[in-house]
Amino acid sequence: MAEHHAVSDGKHKASTNAGGSVHGNSRPGAAGGGGGKGGLSGGLTQPAGWQSLLSFSILFLACLAGFSSRLFAVIRFESIIHEFDPWFNYRSTHHLTTNGFYEFLNWFDERAWYPLGRIVGGTVYPGLMVTAGLIHYMLNLLHITVHIRDVCVFLAPVFSGLTAISTFLLTRELWNQGAGLLAACFIAIVPGYISRSVAGSFDNEGIAIFALQFTYYLWVKSVKTGSVFWTIGCCLSYFYMVSAWGGYVFIINLIPLHVFVLMLMQRYSRRVYIAYSTFYIVGLVLSMQIPFVGFQPIRTSEHMAAAGVFALLQAYAFLQYLKDRLTRQEFQTLFFLGVSLAAGVVFLTVIYLTYTGLYAKIHIPIIASVSEHQPTTWVSFFFDLHILVCTFPAGLWFCIKNINDERVFVALYAISAVYFAGVMVRLMLTLTPVVCMLSAVAFSSVFEHYMGDDTKREKPPAEDSSDEDDKRNSGNLYDKAGKVRKHVSEQEKAEEGLGPNIKSIVTMLMLMLLMMFAVHCTWVTSNAYSSPSVVLASYNHDGTRNILDDFREAYYWLRQNTDEHARVMSWWDYGYQIAGMANRTTLVDNNTWNNSHIALVGKAMSSNESAAYKIMRSLDVDYVLIIFGGVIGYSGDDINKFLWMVRIAEGEHPKDIRESDYFTPQGEFRVDKAGSPTLLNCLMYKMSYYRFGEMQLDFRTPPGFDRTRNAEIGNKDIKFQHLEEAFTSEHWLVRIYKVKNLDNREPLDHKLRSVVPKQKYTSKKTAKRKRGHIKNKLALRKGKKLQKK
Amino acid sequence: MTRKSQILAACLLLLAAVSSEVSADGLVNEDVKRTVDLGTHLAKITAEIVLSNQGQSAVNSFILAVEADLAPHLAYIGASVKGDEEEDGTLELQQTTIQSQSGVFYKVQLPSNLAAGAQLKTKVEMTFSHVLQPFPTHITQAERQLVVFQGNHYLYSPYPTRSQTTRVRLASKTVETYTKLGNPSKNDEIIEYGPFRDVAPFSEDTMKIHYENNSPFLTISSITRTIEVSHWGNIAVEETIDLRHTGAALKGPFSRYDYQRQSDSGISSVKSFKTILPASAQDVYYRDEIGNISTSHLQVLEDSVEVEVRPRFPLFGGWKTHYMIGYNLPSYEYLYTLGDQYALKMRLVDHVYDDQVIDALTVKIILPEGARNIHVDTPYKIDREPNQLHYTYLDTFGRPVLVATKNNLVEHHIQDVVVHYNFNRILMLQEPLLVVGAFYILFFTVIIYVRLDFAITKDPAAEVRMKVASITEQVLTLVNKRLGLYRHMDEVVNRYKQSRDTGALNSGRKTLEADHRTLTNEISTLQARLKAEGSDLAEKVGEVQKLDGQVKELVCRSGQEAERLVAGKVKKEAYIESEKTLTGKRQELVSRIDSLLDAL
Repeated sequence: MAEHHAVSDGKHKASTNAGGSVHGNSRPGAAGGGGGKGGLSGGLTQPAGWQSLLSFSILFLACLAGFSSRLFAVIRFESIIHEFDPWFNYRSTHHLTTNGFYEFLNWFDERAWYPLGRIVGGTVYPGLMVTAGLIHYMLNLLHITVHIRDVCVFLAPVFSGLTAISTFLLTRELWNQGAGLLAACFIAIVPGYISRSVAGSFDNEGIAIFALQFTYYLWVKSVKTGSVFWTIGCCLSYFYMVSAWGGYVFIINLIPLHVFVLMLMQRYSRRVYIAYSTFYIVGLVLSMQIPFVGFQPIRTSEHMAAAGVFALLQAYAFLQYLKDRLTRQEFQTLFFLGVSLAAGVVFLTVIYLTYTGLYAKIHIPIIASVSEHQPTTWVSFFFDLHILVCTFPAGLWFCIKNINDERVFVALYAISAVYFAGVMVRLMLTLTPVVCMLSAVAFSSVFEHYMGDDTKREKPPAEDSSDEDDKRNSGNLYDKAGKVRKHVSEQEKAEEGLGPNIKSIVTMLMLMLLMMFAVHCTWVTSNAYSSPSVVLASYNHDGTRNILDDFREAYYWLRQNTDEHARVMSWWDYGYQIAGMANRTTLVDNNTWNNSHIALVGKAMSSNESAAYKIMRSLDVDYVLIIFGGVIGYSGDDINKFLWMVRIAEGEHPKDIRESDYFTPQGEFRVDKAGSPTLLNCLMYKMSYYRFGEMQLDFRTPPGFDRTRNAEIGNKDIKFQHLEEAFTSEHWLVRIYKVKNLDNREPLDHKLRSVVPKQKYTSKKTAKRKRGHIKNKLALRKGKKLQKK
Repeated sequence: MTRKSQILAACLLLLAAVSSEVSADGLVNEDVKRTVDLGTHLAKITAEIVLSNQGQSAVNSFILAVEADLAPHLAYIGASVKGDEEEDGTLELQQTTIQSQSGVFYKVQLPSNLAAGAQLKTKVEMTFSHVLQPFPTHITQAERQLVVFQGNHYLYSPYPTRSQTTRVRLASKTVETYTKLGNPSKNDEIIEYGPFRDVAPFSEDTMKIHYENNSPFLTISSITRTIEVSHWGNIAVEETIDLRHTGAALKGPFSRYDYQRQSDSGISSVKSFKTILPASAQDVYYRDEIGNISTSHLQVLEDSVEVEVRPRFPLFGGWKTHYMIGYNLPSYEYLYTLGDQYALKMRLVDHVYDDQVIDALTVKIILPEGARNIHVDTPYKIDREPNQLHYTYLDTFGRPVLVATKNNLVEHHIQDVVVHYNFNRILMLQEPLLVVGAFYILFFTVIIYVRLDFAITKDPAAEVRMKVASITEQVLTLVNKRLGLYRHMDEVVNRYKQSRDTGALNSGRKTLEADHRTLTNEISTLQARLKAEGSDLAEKVGEVQKLDGQVKELVCRSGQEAERLVAGKVKKEAYIESEKTLTGKRQELVSRIDSLLDAL
C-alpha cells in the first residue's frame, strides 16, 4: 500500500514537472502554454497573480513530493535512525537536548575510544545537532511534544524540501522562473540526493546541501546586485554550512574560483569587488567560530586559494585605481607582472592541494576501506541521475552560449563538481544539485522552442496583441535574467522550419523522458536507498515479510544485561551503533581519527586467541562483538571485511601481522579446509564460527556450511580458553563474547616442597643493620681508634 | 503416639491459657483446610476456616494473622464468607496489631454478628511474592531451576485450631527434600500434611520444600502506567515496564545453538508471554528506546486483544529488559458524564502476564486541561503523590496529572479506579480557537508585510527606474498594438483583393488612420513623460515613432497598390513584385523596431 502511494506520488510529480515547464516557461511572446492556461487567462484580470500562484503551488508540490518520497523507510519499517554515522549524530543531539548547548560543546565522551575518550564538542560539525536541537526546543516551547528521535528522523526530508526552494531560487537567478521550477522538481526526487537524505538518515549531508545551494543563491544574488546586504546573508549561510559539513571547503574554493575567472574574463566590476571582499572577511571570521574548524581557514592549504584570490582582487582593484593615474605603458607591464605572478601562485596551490588530498585518500587503507570513497562508476552516475546526466551538458552549453557573470559561476560549479564526483562516490552529492539546475535549463529551453506557439497560430492577430500585453507584464515581472524575451515577428521567423508535428513529437518525447525519470527515481528510492540497514527484511515466497532484527536484539541485550561501564570491542563500523543503541563504551568507532588504535583492534581480531587475549587485557575489554552472516547469507559481515582489518593492522604492526599469512599459497582468501592455518586459528575466525560446525542449515549442505561464502568451514572444532559466548542473536548475525578474567592460579599437581631449615633462624643483622639504624654510620666507641667498618 | 498427644494436650492447655488472654472473644478455628499453591513463582495460600464462637457474647469481627517471616512478602490478602446458598461475600479488612505477638494482623469485619455458639465458614486468600528462593542461585543453561519454599505447617492464627490439613501443590514431581512433619503423603505434585489436631494459637513450625520449578520467574521491577484522557474521544494508555527474570541466574555461556536445537535447553528462560489488553484497544505499539520490537504478534479476540509480547532476546535468570506498550481506547467506554461532571473508570493496573508480580507501580492519570474538583476512588489503599502538570499539544496552562504509587502488586490488584472531576465544556473550543487564531495572525502578518512598505530608506533612483519601467511597458504595449493594426490592415487589403469592395477598404483604412492616430498620440505623450523623467529612452521611443511612420507609409502604399491592381492599373506580376519589395522593407523596419524595443 505504502509503495503504491509513493509511486502515485512520483507520477504526480512527473505531471508537476511537465506542468511546471508548460506554465513556468511560457514566454512573454508566446500566447500561453496550453489550452488550460489559455482558458484560465481568458477570465483573468491579473495573470501575474495567477502565475505566482501557479509557481507557488508547483514549488509547494515539489517540496511535498521531496518530503514524502523520502518516507519509504518510515512507512515500511518505522521511525528509526539509519546506518552508522546517524547514530552518533542522534546520540550527540540527544546529549545536546538533555544537557544544553554549552555542556554539548564541552562534552568529553569517555564512552568512545576507550581509554582515550573523545572531545566531541571540538571534533564535530555541530550544525546538524544544533539544528535538530533547536527545532526540538522550539516545538517543545509550543508544547508540541515531539520526541527528539522523530525530529532527527524527519529532519533530512524537511531540509530536502528547503533544498528544492533554494534550488528554485538559484536557478531562477541563473535562467528563469520556469527552469527554476523544473530544477526544484528535479532536486526533490533525484536519487543522487535522496540517497543521503531519506527519513532516518540523520547526517550532515542532509542539511548541508540546502546550505550549499542557499549560499550559492545568495552569492549569485550579491554578485548581481553588489549589495553588502546580500553578501552578509551569503556569509551567514556560509557560516551555517561550515557548522554543518566539511564540504564547506567546496564553497570556499568555488567562490574564489568564480571571482578569479571573472577577472580573467575581464568581467571584473565593483559589484564583484564588494561581494567578494565582504564575503571573504566576514565568512572567514564566522567560519573560525566553529570549534572544529578553528584556525584552519588561515592555516591549511585548502583555504589558501580564497586568500590568494582575495589578495589578487585587492591588487586588481588597486591597479584599476592606478590606471587612472599612470600611463598606459607603465600600467600594462605592472598589470601583467602582478596578474601572472598571483595566478601562478594560486594555480600551484590548487595543484598541490589536489595532489596531497588525493594521495592521502588513496594510500591510507582505512580510508580506502570505506566503499563510498571509491571512484564513481558510470553505472552509478546513471543510477543516481538517470536522464539528467545526459541533458545537463546541454544545459551547460546553453549557459555558456549566453554567458553572464552568474552563468560563469554555474559553469565552474558544474565542471568542478563533475571532477570531484568522478574521484569519489560520495561526492556525487555535490554534483547532483548542479546537474538538476543545468538539466532544468536544458529542458526549459527545449520546451521554450517546441511548445506554446501552436495556440498562438490559431488565435486571430487582434486578440494576440492584447494577450501579448498580459504576457509582457508578467514577463517583465519574472524574467529577471533578461534577454530571453522575444517578439512575435522574431518568433515567426525562428519557428518557420518547425512543423506542428515535430513540435508535438519533441514535446511528447521530452515529457516521456521526464515521466521515465520520475519512475526511475521512485524505483531507486524505494529499492536502493530506503533500507535502514539496522533492520533487515527478507521476503518469503508468498510475499510476506520477515524482519531480521538481530542487530537491535544484540545491542539491546548489551544495553540491558551488561555492566553499565562494560567495554565492548568491535570493528569500528559498529562503534557508533554500539554507543547509540547499546549505550556501552567502545574502543573504536566510525570517527576514525586514531589509526593506531584501530590497528590494535584489527591486530587483536587477526591474532590467535592467546595473543589477542593479551591485547584485550591491556585494553580492558569485557565483551567482543562481531557480525557473522554465514547463517542467513548476509554479505556485509566481519569475515568479509576481515582483510581490511589485517591490512590496517599490518600497517601499524608489520612484524606481527602479515597479510600474506591469511591467503592460501595460491593467493586466495578461503575459509574452508584449504584456507591458511593462520586464518583458521585467528580470533575473528574462531569467534565467527564457534559451534557453527555443528549446525546444519539444510539437508543439502554439510554441517557448518557458510552461506555467505558458500563453503564448508575448515575449522569445526573451535574451543576457547579465554573467551566464552555471552550472546548470539536469533539468526546468529551478531555474536558477543565475554572476555574471561584471568584464571585463578592453577593448583600444583605436587605438594609444595617443605624445606626444613637446618638450624633455627637467627637474624643476621648486626646492631648496625637493624631497623632504625643508619647504614654505615660510624660507630663510636670510647677508648678505641676510629675505624671504618 | 499417645505420648505425643499427651504432650500436645499439655501444650494446648498451656497455650489455651495464653490464648484466653489474647482472644477474649472466644473464637475457635473449628476446621481449617489450607492449600499452599507453589505451582508458579508465587505462593498462593488459601485457607477455608470454619469459625465457631465459643465465647459468651456475639462477635462482629475476627483476626487474621500473617507470620512475621512472610509478612513483608504479602502482596494480597482477602477474606470472604462462604455461605451455603448465597454468593461469597467479600469482607473488609483492616490492619491491626496485637501486643507481644510478632506478625501482621488484620481485623476482618463480619457481615453480621456471630452469635455465641454459632459457626461461620470463611475463606482466606493470601498471595506472597518473592518467597520462592532459587537454590542453587546460579544455574547453567542446561540445568533446571530448583527453588526453596519456607512456610508454616500450621495456620498462623490467634485462635486455637481444632483440626487442620495442609495441602501443598508444587510445579513438578521432582522434589529434592521436604519437611516431614506428621508423616505427609506425597502424590505426584501434591504433598498433604495433617490432619493436625488442636493446634495452639500462634503456633509456627517451619515447612521447607526444595523442588523443581521451571515456571517463568518474571518480575516487573517497575511499571509506569500513563492514562491520558482526551475529551475528543480517545484515551491513550502507555505502560513503561522494567522486566526481570528473578529465578536462578544464568551461569556461564549462553549458547544460541543449544537453545535452538535442544528443546529443554534454558527451560526456565522466558521466550514470550501474553498480555491481554481491553477488547477495544487500537493502535497497539510495543517498543523501547531503540525502536519497535518487531517480534510481537497481535491477536484480536472476541472480548480482548492479545499481544504476544516477545522481548528482543529470551530472558534468562538475572537478565532484564525494558519496554513500552501502548494503545488507544475509545473514551465512551470508560468516560461517564453528567452535565459538567465526568467520571473515568479505568483499571488502575492492567494485565501484563499471568500471575504477574509488580514490585513498584506508578500510575499517572492525565486529565484534560481545565479539569477541576478532582477526587479519586481507589479500590485499595494506594499512595498519592502531589499532582503535576503536563503540557502537550496546544496546551496553555497544563493538564492536571494524578500520580499514585504502590508496591508489591499481584493479579488481584487488577481493579477499577474511578476518577471524578468537573470540566467546563466551553474549554473544548479553546484548542480549535488557538489554531484558528494562529493562522489568522500568520495570514494577517503576511498581508501587512506585503501591502506596506517597510523600507527604511527611500531610493529616488529606484522609483524613477520603476516609473520609467512602467512607462516603457505601456509604450511596448502600444507599439505592439500598432503593429497589430497593420496586420489587421493587411487582412483588410487581402479581403479587398478578393471581394473588390472599395467601401470595406476605405472604412478599414479610416479605422486604421483613426486608431493609428490615437495610438501614436498616446505614445507621444508617453514619450514626453519619459523625457520629463529624464530618461534617455525617450530618444529611442522617438526613433521607434519615426520608423513606425515609415511602416505606416508602406502599409498605406500596399493598400494603394492593391487598389490599383483591382482597378486594373497594374499588372499582376508587377504588383507581386512591388508587394514583395514592400513587405521586405516592412519586415526590415519591423525588425529594427523590435531591436529598439528590446533595448528598452
